[in-house]
Amino acid sequence: MKKKKSYIKFLFFILTLSIISSAPLPGAERISNVRYEIWVELDDQNKMLHGKENITWFNNTRDDVQDMWFHLYYNAFKNEKSTTIQESKEEWFEAFGIKIKEGKWGWVDVTSIKLTDGLDLKPTMEFITQDKPVHPGDQTVMRVFFPEPVKPGEEVHLQLEFESKIPRSVHRSSYYQNSYFIAQWFPKPGVYEEGKGWNCHEYHLSSEFYADFAEFTVHITVPEDFVVGASGKQIKAAPDEAKKTVTYTFYQDNIHDFAWTADPDFIKVERDFVADEEVSLEEYEEVARMLQLPVEEVKLPDVKMTLLIEPEHKSQIDRHFKALRMAIKYYGLWYGPYPYETVTMVDPPFRTSSGGMEYPTLFTAGTSILRSKKVLSPEGVIIHEFGHGYWYGLCANNEFEEAWLDEGINTYSEGKVTAIAYGPGAMPMSFQRIPLSWFCKLPEYYNYELERAAAINVVELDPITTISWKFYNRGSYALNVYDRASTCLYTLEGLVGEEMMLRILRTFQMRFRYKHPQTQDFIDVVNEVTGKDLSWFFEELFFGTLNFDYGISSVASKEKKKYVRGVFDADGRKEEIISKRIKKMEKEDKKSDDKEFYITEVKVRRFGEARVRGDTVMKLKVVFEDGSEDVINWRGQERWKKFTFEKPAKAKYAQIDPDNIWLIDSNLTNNSLKRKPSRKGIFKVATELLFLIQNYLQCAASLI
Amino acid sequence: MKILNTFEKGFQTTNKRLKMVVYLWLINFIYSVLIVTPVYFLIKKDLSGSLMADQIIKGTGLLWLGDIIYKYQDVFPALVGWFLIPGIFFMLLYIFLYGGIIGRIAAQDEKMKMTSFLADCSKYFFTFLKVFLISLVAYLVVFGGIHSIISALFNLWKKSASTEWPLILSSILEFLILILLFSIVRMFFDYVRVRLVVEKSKKTIRATLLNVTFIRKRFFKAWFLYLLVGLISAVFGVIYLAVHQLLPKIGILLIVGFIWQQAYVLSRMWTKILFYSTEYHFLNIHKE
Repeated sequence: MKKKKSYIKFLFFILTLSIISSAPLPGAERISNVRYEIWVELDDQNKMLHGKENITWFNNTRDDVQDMWFHLYYNAFKNEKSTTIQESKEEWFEAFGIKIKEGKWGWVDVTSIKLTDGLDLKPTMEFITQDKPVHPGDQTVMRVFFPEPVKPGEEVHLQLEFESKIPRSVHRSSYYQNSYFIAQWFPKPGVYEEGKGWNCHEYHLSSEFYADFAEFTVHITVPEDFVVGASGKQIKAAPDEAKKTVTYTFYQDNIHDFAWTADPDFIKVERDFVADEEVSLEEYEEVARMLQLPVEEVKLPDVKMTLLIEPEHKSQIDRHFKALRMAIKYYGLWYGPYPYETVTMVDPPFRTSSGGMEYPTLFTAGTSILRSKKVLSPEGVIIHEFGHGYWYGLCANNEFEEAWLDEGINTYSEGKVTAIAYGPGAMPMSFQRIPLSWFCKLPEYYNYELERAAAINVVELDPITTISWKFYNRGSYALNVYDRASTCLYTLEGLVGEEMMLRILRTFQMRFRYKHPQTQDFIDVVNEVTGKDLSWFFEELFFGTLNFDYGISSVASKEKKKYVRGVFDADGRKEEIISKRIKKMEKEDKKSDDKEFYITEVKVRRFGEARVRGDTVMKLKVVFEDGSEDVINWRGQERWKKFTFEKPAKAKYAQIDPDNIWLIDSNLTNNSLKRKPSRKGIFKVATELLFLIQNYLQCAASLI
Repeated sequence: MKILNTFEKGFQTTNKRLKMVVYLWLINFIYSVLIVTPVYFLIKKDLSGSLMADQIIKGTGLLWLGDIIYKYQDVFPALVGWFLIPGIFFMLLYIFLYGGIIGRIAAQDEKMKMTSFLADCSKYFFTFLKVFLISLVAYLVVFGGIHSIISALFNLWKKSASTEWPLILSSILEFLILILLFSIVRMFFDYVRVRLVVEKSKKTIRATLLNVTFIRKRFFKAWFLYLLVGLISAVFGVIYLAVHQLLPKIGILLIVGFIWQQAYVLSRMWTKILFYSTEYHFLNIHKE
């Protein structure tokens, strides 16, 4: 009886739990749970920002929230106690860390923080440092307490006033002379995660950002001669003739950050991405077929494109727009239509250290005056940063904790778009800022080749999924989350096929638009779309530090011996076969039309620790001198395995992974082995090297 | 006109000494082969059996290059040393060879023989070594002092730049000035060496001091002549690059490419002798 009672209790508990967990979150249908209205004035003379900020935060969780955490990113440049500067010194030692010149520090002061009913929260304000290792003294995260918890489904309205000193040319946001790029500049709440609390990390050297989707209305007041660009759509420009200023108002919903730029020298160019002119019906049909979607679902909307470019780069306006059009087209076709009306591309103001960075509906590119058309720069950076509008902008993963989800996927996507739009690009080599490709033909490459060359060097340092600031060093962070992750995604594409990969990324993008996906979400999508459990792929290549290297260690062919020496039983008696007799018999055989047979032995090895799992196998192809070939599969679990082939011809070569699926393989050279080595390629390398050395020696001799 | 006459004489002398061009090329070639050989075997071991080697024919590929870099990342410092240290020894070798080069130019009426070339090499080796040591002081003054001042001036310009243009222009101008400064020092010590051979002297400091007066009096003429030969060297470089790009990089034509590369190296040797020949005649014409 007692037993039965507890059984019923347990059932009741499970039922209650399932009811609670299946209850919709309060306001679950809303994308943005934060509303900002910000008034900011640029003080060009003193390089200051004076701001007022109204924040409405909506509690869309089931928790009672007692406090609010804010990012105060500008304080990363306030003094040498900040986490960013400390980490830079730990990384590059004292002499090479971030060095801010005297008088050029940046900071943000929250001078007032109140609830709309006038209750002052400032007395409860405190700076907190939670990330490990702790950097006491960092002031990039602030917390205030509410007098009463914010209940689920309730809103809290805050009014802030702040003063910011713009840092000088350090990290993403800065000024130079009278040019400004303003990012991470306003007090910004972290992300409240149900059951976990605020996710609000310090400003780290190797990390980007994470925030809730929000509705932004921002009024920016600047001197009247400034050209301004910002996230979202400009809805108003109000000049003040007395003050000689203009206040620009920008609005955008469903974005999670807001950046702006101001420079009197900017040339502003506006063009339209007209979908009907950019994409043909055949292209729509082809993409719809690949994605297994109706054509209507892959149709693209028009987008207003704005370029703010420095006058000295005026000749590159068309290059910038072409790259942006290509990005809007292919990201849109493949991963989903771009949902905003505008996109602003900023040629970063000179010396503001703000190039190559993404913000919702606005990004910075980066070029220089002397650029070869064969080198895909600024094209690559434009495609990449626009692409972040998808991977980070729309699928808003936590960049502090899982940077690969945007950087890796976006590096992969950028490579795909660049390849289809431009083909391979020349190596960006220059001498005294003059592109060398003006004078000679430089090697050309696809992005994936360079990424893979970089990736294989950091496999054993850190898992791709490491928290951003906990990588071995900045190099490991960058190469792991960008290049290695991208290379692994190319590998996944090889494994599942190009169209399947497209469907994976499309599903992931559309399902997690305006959400905060995590690595497991991506794995779940991969498994769901492919219909296979490929979790092992991520365990081996993303969560670990295992080197992947399969190869051929030997190929040998020998004539199949028909006759062997020794004593044999024949007709009840012993008969000895001797060499002389064998030779005679072989001679007779040669006269007949019987084909000679050869035994080919191929030894394959798993040099690395990583291995294929599930129903995945390593393919082994052996090509014979008569042109025939054999393909067999190896499960690849053992350290090595010998395969034997009996054919009327000797082997020409053996190749593991002949379809080049495993791009992440750290040694592609040993994936094939010829039975007879050839010197063709080697001769070329050797003569090139010889010539290089000859000239190097002559140059050395010329120095004396 | 005198300069062009000097140039013509130098040109004729150089062409009389074509055997010496071959000597120098041979020395350079053998020395380079010695450096490249271990690397060749290393590459051969890794690549000759692989299908990747076929891709090498098509040009530099990041897939196989990535493999090589990854594989040899730990021995990279040793490889750099392997290339750098022979470079230093090659400089010493050329201090030795300059004696032969200038000695045979000065003895232009004599038949070119390897024995006499080597005799001149050894005769002037220690004298030229002293010249080299003195030249180090000059290089230090020019690049540590004068160039630093010029650099600082350019930095002032770059610091206040509002666009990238000052950076580009200063970078090009600074490099140009560096090259011109280098050419002056180089030319100066070339004349010191030529003077020592012409005067059959071993007094390096005296020759250096005399040379100061000599160059000061006719600096622009001497420099013009030097730059003229330098220009020829640059033209050879441009021709080499232009033709090299047109050459197909497949099959037997790889050999043609190799021969063309060696032709260019030969042209560098020829120009080196032309430098000294013109300087020799210039010194003789203006000798006080």
